[in-house]
Amino acid sequence: MARAVIDPVTRIEGHLRVEVEVEGGVVKDAWVSGTLYRGMETVLEGRAPADAFYVSQRICGVCPISHGHASTMASEAALGIQIPDGARLVRNIIEGAETLHSHILWFYTLTALDYVDVVSALSANIADTYALAEKAGTSTADFGQVQKRIKTFVEGGQLSIFTNGYWGHPAMKLPAELNLIAVAHYLEALEMQAEAAQIIALMGGKFPHFMTSLPGGTAWMPTEEKLGGILFRWKRVRDWVANTFIPDTLAIAPFYIEAATYGKGCGNFLSWGCFDDASFDPKKRALPRGMIVGGKLEVLEPDVAQVKEYVEHAWYDSPSALNPAQGKTHAKFTSYDTNDRYSWVKAPRLNELPMEVGPLSRMLVAYLDGVPQVKSLIDTTLAALGVAGKPEILVSLLGRIAARNLETLYVADEMGKWIGELVAAVKGGEAKFFTESTATDGEGAGLWEAPRGALGHFISVKGGKIANYQAVTPSTWDLSPRDAAGVRGPMEEALIGAPIADVEKPLEALRIVHSFDP
Amino acid sequence: MAQEMREGIYDLLAARGVSRRDFLKYCGSVAAMLGLSEMAAPQIAAAVEGGAKLQPAVWLDLGLCTGCTESTAQAGNPNVADIVLDLLSINYMETIMAAAGDQAEEAKAKTIEEGGYILIVEGTVMTGEGGNTLRIAGKTGMEVLKEAASKAAAIVAVGSCAVDGGWVRANPNPAGGKGVKDVAVELGFDKVPIINLPTCPVNPEWIVAVVIDVLMLGALENLAVLNLDELGRPKLIFGQTIHDNCPRRGHFENGEFVKQFGTVEEVKQFCLYEVGCKGPQTFTNCPKVRWNRKASWCVESGAPCIGCGNLNWVDNDAPFLKRMPNVGGVRPETIGTVLGGAAAAGLLVHGVASFSSGRAKGAPVETSKAYDKKKGGDK
Amino acid sequence: MSHEGHYREAHPLIFVFQHWVNLICMAGLAFSGFVIHGSFYAISMGGARMIHFTLMFVLAVNITSRIILSFWVKDANQLGTREVDTDIKNWLPQKENKHQLLETAKYYLFMRKERVISAKYGALQKIAYLATVPITFFMGYTGFALYGPAQQWPVWGFFAGGISLVGGIMTMRIIHYFGMWVVILFTMVHAYLAAIDGFKAFYGLIFLWRESPGAEEGH
Repeated sequence: MARAVIDPVTRIEGHLRVEVEVEGGVVKDAWVSGTLYRGMETVLEGRAPADAFYVSQRICGVCPISHGHASTMASEAALGIQIPDGARLVRNIIEGAETLHSHILWFYTLTALDYVDVVSALSANIADTYALAEKAGTSTADFGQVQKRIKTFVEGGQLSIFTNGYWGHPAMKLPAELNLIAVAHYLEALEMQAEAAQIIALMGGKFPHFMTSLPGGTAWMPTEEKLGGILFRWKRVRDWVANTFIPDTLAIAPFYIEAATYGKGCGNFLSWGCFDDASFDPKKRALPRGMIVGGKLEVLEPDVAQVKEYVEHAWYDSPSALNPAQGKTHAKFTSYDTNDRYSWVKAPRLNELPMEVGPLSRMLVAYLDGVPQVKSLIDTTLAALGVAGKPEILVSLLGRIAARNLETLYVADEMGKWIGELVAAVKGGEAKFFTESTATDGEGAGLWEAPRGALGHFISVKGGKIANYQAVTPSTWDLSPRDAAGVRGPMEEALIGAPIADVEKPLEALRIVHSFDP
Repeated sequence: MAQEMREGIYDLLAARGVSRRDFLKYCGSVAAMLGLSEMAAPQIAAAVEGGAKLQPAVWLDLGLCTGCTESTAQAGNPNVADIVLDLLSINYMETIMAAAGDQAEEAKAKTIEEGGYILIVEGTVMTGEGGNTLRIAGKTGMEVLKEAASKAAAIVAVGSCAVDGGWVRANPNPAGGKGVKDVAVELGFDKVPIINLPTCPVNPEWIVAVVIDVLMLGALENLAVLNLDELGRPKLIFGQTIHDNCPRRGHFENGEFVKQFGTVEEVKQFCLYEVGCKGPQTFTNCPKVRWNRKASWCVESGAPCIGCGNLNWVDNDAPFLKRMPNVGGVRPETIGTVLGGAAAAGLLVHGVASFSSGRAKGAPVETSKAYDKKKGGDK
Repeated sequence: MSHEGHYREAHPLIFVFQHWVNLICMAGLAFSGFVIHGSFYAISMGGARMIHFTLMFVLAVNITSRIILSFWVKDANQLGTREVDTDIKNWLPQKENKHQLLETAKYYLFMRKERVISAKYGALQKIAYLATVPITFFMGYTGFALYGPAQQWPVWGFFAGGISLVGGIMTMRIIHYFGMWVVILFTMVHAYLAAIDGFKAFYGLIFLWRESPGAEEGH
């Protein structure tokens, strides 16, 4: 029996430590520890509700849009504000742009280096690489130039961010040519994520941390001219997703098909839902609200009142088992001890169960809810991988990755519709974008989705000031430590059963951690 | 660093009629604004192909949201790939490096041992709970900073968090957030120069400008090139207010304001001063450099500046949609009005009392001072 | 209705003139300041600031010259007399004011009936009049500190130091704002006391520079 520790876990947002117990080359137990506490909720108390929109985005620099929206929705729920339909479209487009940005960045920049051997790309044959790209239906690049760039770089002896990577690791399975394609697209992806972020910047001032979705609607006023710049960028990114991102995924997946057999996790999935339609009904969102329990493929309705946060294994001395609407956060570090307290992350439970959140949860709920575009996307993909009619295979490491990448295309296509609707609304000249309010008291929740999963902000406002503020982030759900009953969090559970070829370099464990986009 | 790179850039400048001496005299940290960064990337790449060494760098993540790394990934020309592949050898950067855990720590340890690297710090120095509000590789964030900072050639604190604690240090600062500069003496790296690049997140163009200054103008050997102010910020980036350079300034002068969001005044791009814009007291060149490859910036998209480049920006600038922050939890306007009202009421009461007591018609003057009487009595 | 006579020696013409310049400047500064602060009125910001700057310079010159003149110009050392002394002596606290601060306060709070012995001005009055000088220059300093960043003056460090001291330009703005309220409150109390305490005899002098003989029979 051996303990493997990954600390720091890199290529994530924030700080994370993962510890696994390995026996016979397989993970038997796991502990996931969030190692940073900043006290956002306490800082927000006593401030104006609109201030929370700005400050709470700083919880996460990769998904600030979602935090901003959840915060603003919580304030609107508390103060009884109904936003105009124009603002709904603007918010959906900004949120969609963040999803594109985040998923592209996650796949190529954060997780691909677990599967793609950059050094191996040096031995690729350029002619074969073009042939392979054509066969896989993915876009080509100047592969010779890319290879030359890597060569200069490797021969210079200074590997920069690639220093000490898992090059030549036995779990790396791609042929040299596919590695070269992936590296070329890694560089392209950096341009594409920036292009998607520009959509946010145009509508929200900047990214990360945008400025316009204030409680009441949006401060940004669209005009046909401004929408032209958005449409142009959306089209480029959408086409790249369809012609490069998805074919790359399908080309790489067969080499790692055994990843469909492990990394299943807790089998409970939660989606608060994202992207409102005109009815503002969470069950009719483009990615609808719902939950799946115990791996049984049917959608149930989640009740936020049944959420409790446990702190028995986290460094807090505030009371445990509170609903976030009444939540308290008071830090008290003891020591790092996997038998006792070992994380700054609380353990949220819904109906006393750990819940996996993220694209897999959302796509499963949408699929089972019968959202037509999601159903056809997933069915086509399953058929392409030779597992037609077996959606349960998605509950795995490979499925978690596939769900995220397919969601990217779905959201990209939906965005096109919202942009079209907004153009029509602006041309009509009747569209409204902001509702004023003078209310000063109330309580409310903003239940929404970040690219990495279900997100809830909870606010209580008294006399125009925040009396209590709590946020339950996707990472809190997925990276949660054990709860009062000792039940593992979703990521801890997903690590169990993973094969580990080299305890010194537990690359497979890293893949599972990254599959949650922590 | 490769002398030939710098020679190349001086040749280019000479062709544009700028002598090396003039250049150093005038511009300091102006590389990005002159568009030098666009010329610099290929220059440096060429030098590296000729066998020059890349400048090593370590990017340290402290108490952060990763927004500054994200922002850096939005750099345009050079883009992030140029920076990490062609301009610098970033041997440690948690968010994008291939290695993890022990392999990552090993890469950092080796770089520190060799010295001469630029240390880029993102995020707040977490001092709460004995420094345990941030733990990396079994150590506190403060220990990690201390190790990495003491042997650095220079420290670049990126984003308001690293500069002075950012939002984390806002009242009541439950996690003990501080800026890098605030702990320099305590952690023993006060001899290492610190370059501060505030705003939340940092604008990548400013990192690029500093990097180019280091590589092309030798800023590490001669810090004066960066022309820093008393807070360690390059003056050419942080020397003027947003208000000074705001494209909506004309509307301010004309008294044309957005008084409510979602109105036609915003479509006309009127001034956002009345809805709380902090442009008049925020020192950054956002209106010139803009954000996300010059796509837009806050005011251009209809949002009042929240002053994220100010020191202690949340406490100093919130409530963000009001002109001034609260004083003791109360609006300054309310305090002023109440004071004025109370004084008026007090004077009214006093006036009534003066007339009813007959004093207004004249009161007798004392014959000797009360003090003298008392003294006389004591004698 | 005061019993003292009001002679021109009490308030020489130049000082009366400067007094009104002060009032006009302060009122204009407060008004234009409110416009700059809140832009309540449909006046151009550029116009408001031009007024604010101009009046600030006029006020600074006026107060500086008033101080200088106080060393040259002689005026009455008591109310109701033609005996004169250098103005600065009457302006600064004198031996008649000694030990009278608390008693003066008591008088105005109706805690005593008799007026207190004082020099030309009472103890509180002298403090208030003296304080107008540093307050005015302090307002000038804080105002420049708010305006200065745009200007890149060579002496900017003098203001930057102050901004660092108070913890940022926003704090400086609030200080400047409250400073204006101090000036407004001073003006309110000053006008009230002038009105309640012997307005009728006094107004001829201060408004029209016309003497009133006083009411000797009252003694």
